Amino acid sequence: MKIIKIFIVALFLIFGPKFVFAQGELSANDIIAKSRLSFYYAGDDMRAKVLMELINKNGQKRVRELTMLRKDYAQGGNQKYFMYFHRPADVKDTAFMVYKYPDKDDDRWLFIPAISLVKRIAANDKYSSFVGSDFTYEDVSGRKPEEDTHTLLRKEILNGTDCYVIESIPKGASEYTKRISWIAAMDFLPLKEEFYDKQNELYRQFEAQEIESLNGIPTITKRVMKNTKTGHRSEATFQEVEYNLGIGDDTFSERYLRKAPVQWIK
Amino acid sequence: MLRKLTETVVRFPKTTIAVFLAATVFFAVQFPKIKIDTDPENMLEQKQPDRVFYDKVKKEFGIHDLLVVGIVDERGIFDPETLRRIAKVTDSILQIKGVIIEDVVSLRTSDNVTSQDGTLVVRRFMEEIPESPGAIEFLKKAVYGNPFFVDKIISRDGKATSIYIPIEQKDQSYRISKEIEAILKKELIPQQKYYLAGLPVAEDTFGHEMFVQMGVTAPMAGFFIMILLFLIFRMGVAVVPPMLDAMLSVIWTMGLLIGTGHTVHIMSSMIPIFLMPIALLDDIHILSGFFDRYLITKDKRKAIIDTMKDLYRPMFFTSITSAVGFGSLALADIPPVRVFGLFVAFGIMAAWLFTHTMVPAIIMLMNEEKLSAFLEKRQKRISSRDKILKAFGRFSFYRSKAILWTSLAVLVIGIVGIYRIRVNDNPVKWFKPDHKIRIADNVMNRFFGGTYMAYLVVEGDKEDTIKRPEVMSYLDGLQSRLESLEIVGKTSSVADIVKRINYVLHNEDKVFDTVPQGREEIGQYLFLFSMTGDPNDLDNFLDYGSQKANIWIQMKGGDNIQMRRVEDSTDDFINKNPPPPGIVIRWSGLTYINKVWQSLMVWGMLKAVLGSFLIVFFLMVWEFRSLRLGIISMLPLSIAIISSYGLVGLTGKEYDMPIAVCSALSLGMAIDFAIHYLQRFKAAYRELKSLEAAHSFMAGEPYRAILGNAIVISLGFLPLITSTLTPYVTVGTFFAILMVFSTLATLILLPAMMRLWGESLFKRED
Repeated sequence: MKIIKIFIVALFLIFGPKFVFAQGELSANDIIAKSRLSFYYAGDDMRAKVLMELINKNGQKRVRELTMLRKDYAQGGNQKYFMYFHRPADVKDTAFMVYKYPDKDDDRWLFIPAISLVKRIAANDKYSSFVGSDFTYEDVSGRKPEEDTHTLLRKEILNGTDCYVIESIPKGASEYTKRISWIAAMDFLPLKEEFYDKQNELYRQFEAQEIESLNGIPTITKRVMKNTKTGHRSEATFQEVEYNLGIGDDTFSERYLRKAPVQWIK
Repeated sequence: MLRKLTETVVRFPKTTIAVFLAATVFFAVQFPKIKIDTDPENMLEQKQPDRVFYDKVKKEFGIHDLLVVGIVDERGIFDPETLRRIAKVTDSILQIKGVIIEDVVSLRTSDNVTSQDGTLVVRRFMEEIPESPGAIEFLKKAVYGNPFFVDKIISRDGKATSIYIPIEQKDQSYRISKEIEAILKKELIPQQKYYLAGLPVAEDTFGHEMFVQMGVTAPMAGFFIMILLFLIFRMGVAVVPPMLDAMLSVIWTMGLLIGTGHTVHIMSSMIPIFLMPIALLDDIHILSGFFDRYLITKDKRKAIIDTMKDLYRPMFFTSITSAVGFGSLALADIPPVRVFGLFVAFGIMAAWLFTHTMVPAIIMLMNEEKLSAFLEKRQKRISSRDKILKAFGRFSFYRSKAILWTSLAVLVIGIVGIYRIRVNDNPVKWFKPDHKIRIADNVMNRFFGGTYMAYLVVEGDKEDTIKRPEVMSYLDGLQSRLESLEIVGKTSSVADIVKRINYVLHNEDKVFDTVPQGREEIGQYLFLFSMTGDPNDLDNFLDYGSQKANIWIQMKGGDNIQMRRVEDSTDDFINKNPPPPGIVIRWSGLTYINKVWQSLMVWGMLKAVLGSFLIVFFLMVWEFRSLRLGIISMLPLSIAIISSYGLVGLTGKEYDMPIAVCSALSLGMAIDFAIHYLQRFKAAYRELKSLEAAHSFMAGEPYRAILGNAIVISLGFLPLITSTLTPYVTVGTFFAILMVFSTLATLILLPAMMRLWGESLFKRED
């Protein structure tokens, strides 16, 4: 991480600002599309242990710990997610499965161990909260680039990294009315996002706080979403991230919802 | 000492006036700093435990100030066109800065959790506008199928819907409510009525009305008093000294209040109206005496000094007793009442100072020729008023025994009436019934679960206590008891959410519309709920550590009596069904807070009345150097107060905040008549050595002055009746009645007593 930064700064010092964006003129749409792939479609599959801390403005904390599996079926296409909850104690064994289709509503199932029930859930992922956090489902699994109109506002250095700053305005109904993203020119990971609400005021702010290269894939290992209006924030730390494990299709089934696949989840 | 003052003032009248006017400018320049305070919570001390707890509850459960919009369409709202308008209104409201978007509760913005074909569906009630009859039916079924929202965002008859709009800052409520109104005006058609309710709206309106009160009613009262004064003296120039006295004392008092950083609360906004009539009482005595003397001496200087000499004592004692009466409010536990009492007391003493300085100075500047010409003309007319006074005097003097018996009877009736007094108040009722706030309140309470909020906070001894099944069931039981009460329209808690999830997970099977009996189940249901909406959806009902739960109780009435009944019924439930171990239950919410400060008010006022009664009594004993005269001087006002409050009880008028405040200050005012009467009688008796002669003298100038006072003070408060705020109306009416009673008691009872016991009372001193 540090080395990359030093490298970038060195390049910048040697060749001046012109060089950094020398990889041809990318359009805003291209950048957003690339960003989506590098952020949500890294590798063919992935496993991570996610520690999520929900912190309210008084500093009180709630903890969620889960193991997440993801399998991609096509770059930018269908995906399957599997989430198994370790903490809090009273939700242990709860499991959640999502079939994500870019062109239609997701299919989601939840296993509720206390009554040994698998329930299909239909909810709007545009605004429903991901496990009670400030992240929405969309923040966790992505949004189709075609849903917004993107404009490249400027190029800017954010914390020493060259970024494209892109404004995205939703074409249809959405929770936000404007999103501004700082996307790293180097690996297209989103470093920062600002969401503006119907009053045209900043209300949510995303930040990639730690980025590591894992199995050669740049990965955001710590991300924070803060609601600037309520002071509530959610910090997600991705640990034990592994890519290209060859997770089988059968893992994403009701059978494993009821009984976690021990091969992947300990 | 006072005599020296009078002599100096009379020698340098112009300098005196200049000095006081200069000082007045200093007080007047403070006015622009005025800050209005309409927050009912400020009726309690900052550190009062219930208030501290309420603040904590609001913080812990993320409760914001709430504006509520009600939209009523008599044809029913389930019609595509109407729904489209409602949606448009809601969408526009979300765009207003300061509105907390994610917490707005309405058909357009709230999530519904249902079960459809085995799938748990989380959708906004009205993401899209239903166009077909089928879609409308679907929406109806969805709304009425979720008890959490019935009576809240939809009325049972389908004619009304409401939008709950939490706002970030209370001080923005005026702007936001104006913007909301503009939206409603623009988007709705005339058949669709809208109502804007909620505490912030009420407070803003109240603040506005208070300004009107001070800017319109107070000057009106001043003008009215001026006319009264003119009718009493029938001379234009005689109106100047008392009016100037009244105005200066108001400016000094309000200037000091504002300048010392106090906010103007409902109580302190009444200061000008209280001060004006009180301030000029002594001046009437001075003018009255001066005119009589001047006619004889034709020497202004001498007439003033002689008049003042007789009046130093009574004027000092009447002022100090009135100041004590108001000052006794400082004993109350209610800060605005304390401020009111102390500043009126200051104003009274300021007026006393003006009486000794400004007033004689102005008299000195009066044109002598006009003065004597007028007075001579006046003397030639033996007014019919004087004849009535004489007849009245004879009656009270010669029917002494009958009068005493009647007084006793009045006293007994008064006491009976007092026993029937009902203590009750409701700040919303401070607006008159035809005020738009009251109308909105009525409509909202007819269609929905109730606009009066109270909270019942259930606190466990450790984290996650609320998730225990027995605690959750207990919440549910408490709510059932509360909802069985007629006044309670709706209750909401985390138990409702858990029940709803249980019901929906089991394909909407009624058997599962209950609190699940497993700890894990509850935890997982709440977890599931947290996955469906916003991270703060549960906040209003459950604290972050799940240690405390908050039951929202919506009541259709906010009277203190109604709140108390709900409390009693809850206590009864808790006694019969003790909560699980480690659970503490405590009330909060504005309706409860109002009840708290009102009980403080009742007992605080009682304390203040008894306190000032004792102080005034000691002052009287000291003043007359006689225990018996002290007791006698207290009698007329005791009868006046007891019968006034008896009247309150007998007419069924509720004993509320304004009535309570009147009790303490009525005392200091009612004693004035007795002081003037007894002082003057004593002096006259010493001079004339005969009870009858003394009485006959009294029925002349002293009666005129006392009656003049009584008229000014009882009629002077009458303009308050025109106010749009009921506390002012109550104070105006009650004071007028009290002053009439008090005058009658003084002028009837005291002469009767003088005839019976006068000789022994005054003889011993000689």
